[in-house]
Amino acid sequence: MAVLEVILVIFLVFSALMAVRFDEELISIIFLSIFSLILTALYLLHKAADVALAEAVIGAGLNTAIFMSAISQIRHGDSD
Amino acid sequence: MNKLIKKIMSLFILAGVTYALYQNFSLMPEYQGLNEGLSSYIIESGLNDTGSLNLITAVLYDYRAFDSLGESTVIFGAVSGIVLILSRKMLPVSSKGLSFIVKRTLGIMTPFIALFGLYVITHGHLTPGGGFQGGVILAAISIIFSIVYGSAFDYRRYSPQTKTALETGGAMIFLGLGLAGIILEGAFLHNLGFLTAETGTLISAGSIPYINIGVGFKVGAGLAIIFYSMIQKTFEEDF
Repeated sequence: MAVLEVILVIFLVFSALMAVRFDEELISIIFLSIFSLILTALYLLHKAADVALAEAVIGAGLNTAIFMSAISQIRHGDSD
Repeated sequence: MNKLIKKIMSLFILAGVTYALYQNFSLMPEYQGLNEGLSSYIIESGLNDTGSLNLITAVLYDYRAFDSLGESTVIFGAVSGIVLILSRKMLPVSSKGLSFIVKRTLGIMTPFIALFGLYVITHGHLTPGGGFQGGVILAAISIIFSIVYGSAFDYRRYSPQTKTALETGGAMIFLGLGLAGIILEGAFLHNLGFLTAETGTLISAGSIPYINIGVGFKVGAGLAIIFYSMIQKTFEEDF
């Protein structure tokens, strides 16, 4: 249990750093989605099923879609 | 030199935030025990007070239902602002959608996604989940329609007028149950006693399942409106 938690926290910090460091927005968004999935697993380990469901649905699903449409809109504006 | 000072400053701020977060984390109930304070009261008598097996839903829609009303007001404000700024016209320039294989596959999968969303909403008082999470799952269906089938399909199936009506209807259910609480029980959003049935069945826990349904439709329609008004003229050439 504790080993799995430490591994998950290490991957959490890694994905957060990668999301900040990359200049390409698309890769940052994918890493944010991975961050949300790892956070979901951590919430489940701490027996917070409601928060885990909300994090999986909003963080990994809805945020990704909204950020994708936002960056494609920004590029569209640049090309005009 | 200036960059070095910036880096040292940000390191100090990061260390301070880490320390504060760790202090907060070590104060969490799991590390202190649940024997005292409000949490022990809710764990002991939450089931008797509300009839809801899921104590988190009991707190969200019974003890702290007024805060949930504030949350849904915040979502309503966000939807209003985004629609006011972003939506230029009601009928968007549509894309053709993705390939035939993706369309067929999602056509088989989408009813099950809708079923899962409705299950999460209606079983909010029995299993993990509730109105908010299930509403976001329902909003995902609208996102799938917009991306996979093109946003004109989404417009034809669930027009913005329908979404607005659903959102308003959800808010009306919430507020109507609150007013019924004033009339029948004497306090705003008080749990309605005559609706309570045997604990553990689907129709139990007073007015909590109905508030869940209202919040679910409100959140789902609101987030679908946000995505719909952001996608306009967006996927015109890219996808």
